Amino acid sequence: MYTKNLCIYSDSVNELLARYGVKFGIYKDNTFHEQLFPFDMIPRVISAEEFAYIERGLKQRIKALNLFIEDIYHNKRIIHDKIIPEEFVYAGSGYLAQCEGVSPPRGIYTHIAGIDLVQAKDGTWYILEDNLRIPSGASYPMIARDLCRKCSPQTFRDNHLEDNRNYAKLLRKTFDYVNTEGHTVILTPGRYNAAYFEHSYLAEQTGAHLVNGHELTVEDDKLYFVDFSGKKERVGVVYRRISDEYLDPMNFKEESLIGIPHIYDVYRKGNVALINAPGNGVADDKGIYYFVPKMINYYLGEEAVLKNAPTYLPYYQEDLEYVLMHFDDLVIKDVAEAGGYGVFFGNKLENKAKESFKELIKAEPRRFIAQEVIDFRDIDIMEHGEFVPRKADLRAFVLMAEEPMVWKSGLTRFSRNPDSFIVNSSQGGGFKDTWVLSR
Amino acid sequence: MKRLNFRYHLEIDFDIPVKEHRFTLKCIPYSNSVQQVESLKYNIVPNYFLCRTKDSFENESIYGSCDKEHNVFSVDVWGNLKTGLSEKIEMRTSYEADIYKYQTEHTKPGEELKKYSEELKKGYKKQFVKEDILKKAIFYMHRLYEDYTYESGITEITTTAEEAFKIGKGVCQDYSHILIALLRMERIPCRYVTGMMLGEGYSHAWIELCDGNFWIAIDPTNDLIVKDCHIRIAVGRDYKDCMINQGVFIGCGREAKQRQDISVTVEEIK
Amino acid sequence: MGIISLKHTDQLYWLGRYSERVYTTLKLFAEKYDSMIDLNEAEYEDFCKKQDIPNIYSSSEDFAKRYCFDENDTNSIISNLTRAYDNAVVLREEIGSTTLSYIQLAVYAMNKAKLSEAPLLELQHVRDNIVAFWGIVDDSIDDEHVRSIIKLGKRIERVDLFARMHMDRSELKREILKLNRRIDRTGLTYSAKRMAHINYLIEEDDLNYKELVGEIEALLL
Repeated sequence: MYTKNLCIYSDSVNELLARYGVKFGIYKDNTFHEQLFPFDMIPRVISAEEFAYIERGLKQRIKALNLFIEDIYHNKRIIHDKIIPEEFVYAGSGYLAQCEGVSPPRGIYTHIAGIDLVQAKDGTWYILEDNLRIPSGASYPMIARDLCRKCSPQTFRDNHLEDNRNYAKLLRKTFDYVNTEGHTVILTPGRYNAAYFEHSYLAEQTGAHLVNGHELTVEDDKLYFVDFSGKKERVGVVYRRISDEYLDPMNFKEESLIGIPHIYDVYRKGNVALINAPGNGVADDKGIYYFVPKMINYYLGEEAVLKNAPTYLPYYQEDLEYVLMHFDDLVIKDVAEAGGYGVFFGNKLENKAKESFKELIKAEPRRFIAQEVIDFRDIDIMEHGEFVPRKADLRAFVLMAEEPMVWKSGLTRFSRNPDSFIVNSSQGGGFKDTWVLSR
Repeated sequence: MKRLNFRYHLEIDFDIPVKEHRFTLKCIPYSNSVQQVESLKYNIVPNYFLCRTKDSFENESIYGSCDKEHNVFSVDVWGNLKTGLSEKIEMRTSYEADIYKYQTEHTKPGEELKKYSEELKKGYKKQFVKEDILKKAIFYMHRLYEDYTYESGITEITTTAEEAFKIGKGVCQDYSHILIALLRMERIPCRYVTGMMLGEGYSHAWIELCDGNFWIAIDPTNDLIVKDCHIRIAVGRDYKDCMINQGVFIGCGREAKQRQDISVTVEEIK
Repeated sequence: MGIISLKHTDQLYWLGRYSERVYTTLKLFAEKYDSMIDLNEAEYEDFCKKQDIPNIYSSSEDFAKRYCFDENDTNSIISNLTRAYDNAVVLREEIGSTTLSYIQLAVYAMNKAKLSEAPLLELQHVRDNIVAFWGIVDDSIDDEHVRSIIKLGKRIERVDLFARMHMDRSELKREILKLNRRIDRTGLTYSAKRMAHINYLIEEDDLNYKELVGEIEALLL
């Protein structure tokens, strides 16, 4: 076994994670708590060959998604060629009319994508979700790897794997490629955000300034950082970790107190890069997910390398009938929800709830997608010194500079509850390192 | 065709001084196939910087700031235009109308508007055999004009179409939102327009609907097809996309009460 | 020199002040704790008066518990440590994860001490971590500006505390000397007039502690 030597250091590594404040924030009863993110020492191991296949698939997918977003906010060919029904685009939560006709620096919309995958029992990888807005999680395996190496150098001498601590370098490359001449800043909503640790850690690791909205100001079509003496320094890249709606009270939600007035006007004129590009959520809507393989075909003329989980759109009559007939075998997702919320397993609902849910789907077919429940390949975790199998997914990170770059690692999240499929940290899951073997 | 001279004046008085004021103004008419701007000037005081831009609905916008404390903010725009150059506005692109088929937060119909829509649909079918977008829109406009009462001071700018319809009384913004809601229920692309009108002392709002490759403007408040008495300023999915003045105050000032005064004069040049 | 925002400048300064406040009040507390055992039970009353904090404590035992560990007491050491942490946690990219970790460790040690039967032993770890924090500030923060602001906060807080506690002139003078050396390296604006006045006050025969505290609190502009 690769990791026998490593596992005995579980407590030490978790102690070190606590020491470095590797936490996420959570609101319980309206008060903010910082929680440690439980780390399991047994890594998910992916062979070089298998990862090369995943990498190929992810690059292809990101290229297509990027082309799709550009198309939607410009010529809309994919709609007029009837590949995607327009209501899935315009009525989706991620579409922003304010982005019509706006071109981001170097045409990149998806600088940092977190693509969630699962592996089925037969070894097939399925794409579960594309997270294009502000995906988080890369910092956790990055720092965990560093600490694991400290505890058990032998493990990393014996196993040949890709170093995942280069994430900051990839990120820097992503920033620099779109920089419009100026400083790079990471814009955080503040320390009471769930992912604040990550914001501050990535700032430290990339040498970017961590700022909040009040420290940036717009003047004459340019964005500036104001230093302590009042001097203005031009900003060329904003890696913003606040959502589109709150980015700019003059162009999006008026009541936003954390945004920067007119930052979007500066962006529209090409004078600052926003990472990720506003409006890119149009491509990670759960409804749009269904169409990604078609998109790959349409824009790239290729077959999708990585499969979607088999998905049905109640919007199509045929699919609706299937969903109603096979309700118990399916997982239903509300397209407007995220973070593990709005997910329903057909067989877990009581009869009465089931019937009213079916009615709801009939009434609002556009709101839901249904997927076959994938028989996950379980991964072992350590619990009280014993190995027990648990459900786990993999969030792979794809960064885009001149070409898409896949980070040779990823965040493996697992559910601590043996019966649960939900692996989100906000719902009590833990994480693992993801090893990609180098040979 | 007419030649019109206009003067737009906006003044905002704050009860306590505000500072770090950021604003976006969509108050500049621009040339297209129905109107041609011959001369245009504007004056915005106070200001620290001003930038010109075009928003995603192709509206001319000015944005800027004034950091110093002030109690009054004023905007003046004046100039001459030729109006009524054509009956229709050409579409810029073949897909321009797409986004105007969908309801927004402000136009989303509730039970009342849905009922009303059914009633209107029946009425239209009784009278006309053929589906015709423009005829239908005009028919709906006539009916709304009869069923709805003009009265200012009842609704607010944040009132939605459904709310305004339930109340039964409102102003040009409400007429426009309601008509937009009705047309979009049938997936007819239509948009909200702000502007000015000959003989009207205040800013005005109406709608444009897409018929084929053209936009046609109708004014539900006055129950007429727009010809040469209207000066078009901005368009959008609802009033929010084309607010003439939008402002925020960083730090202090959010609690300041403001009194907004708008006066418009539009006169024909003979 | 990198660019630092006004907010970060402020946070660095207060990180310096609160870390010092925790360290020195812990030290003072340990001394009082000892003498309160069998010498003077009511010594805490004088302590509160000098520190200018309300005496809300009912006994020396109550004082020992709440002054150290009561999160709801805004003057408690744990509250001050929380403030140090609140300032540190938003400065990770400025001071580095390693530097930050010592404040985090002090917080863990404080929470452990709170549960301990022999808190003084555990509180020693809190002090150890703060000393380590200052050491690492010197050792690993390359940006002199950043380093100096933290240290200025520390210096100002120490003079302030020492003056409040009516420490010996020689000790106080030593601290004021260090403050003089540090203040110009921060790039922060301060009142040169007040600094001169502080230097004058410390030499006066009849040392006016109260005035000194007032001047030190108003030193930065």
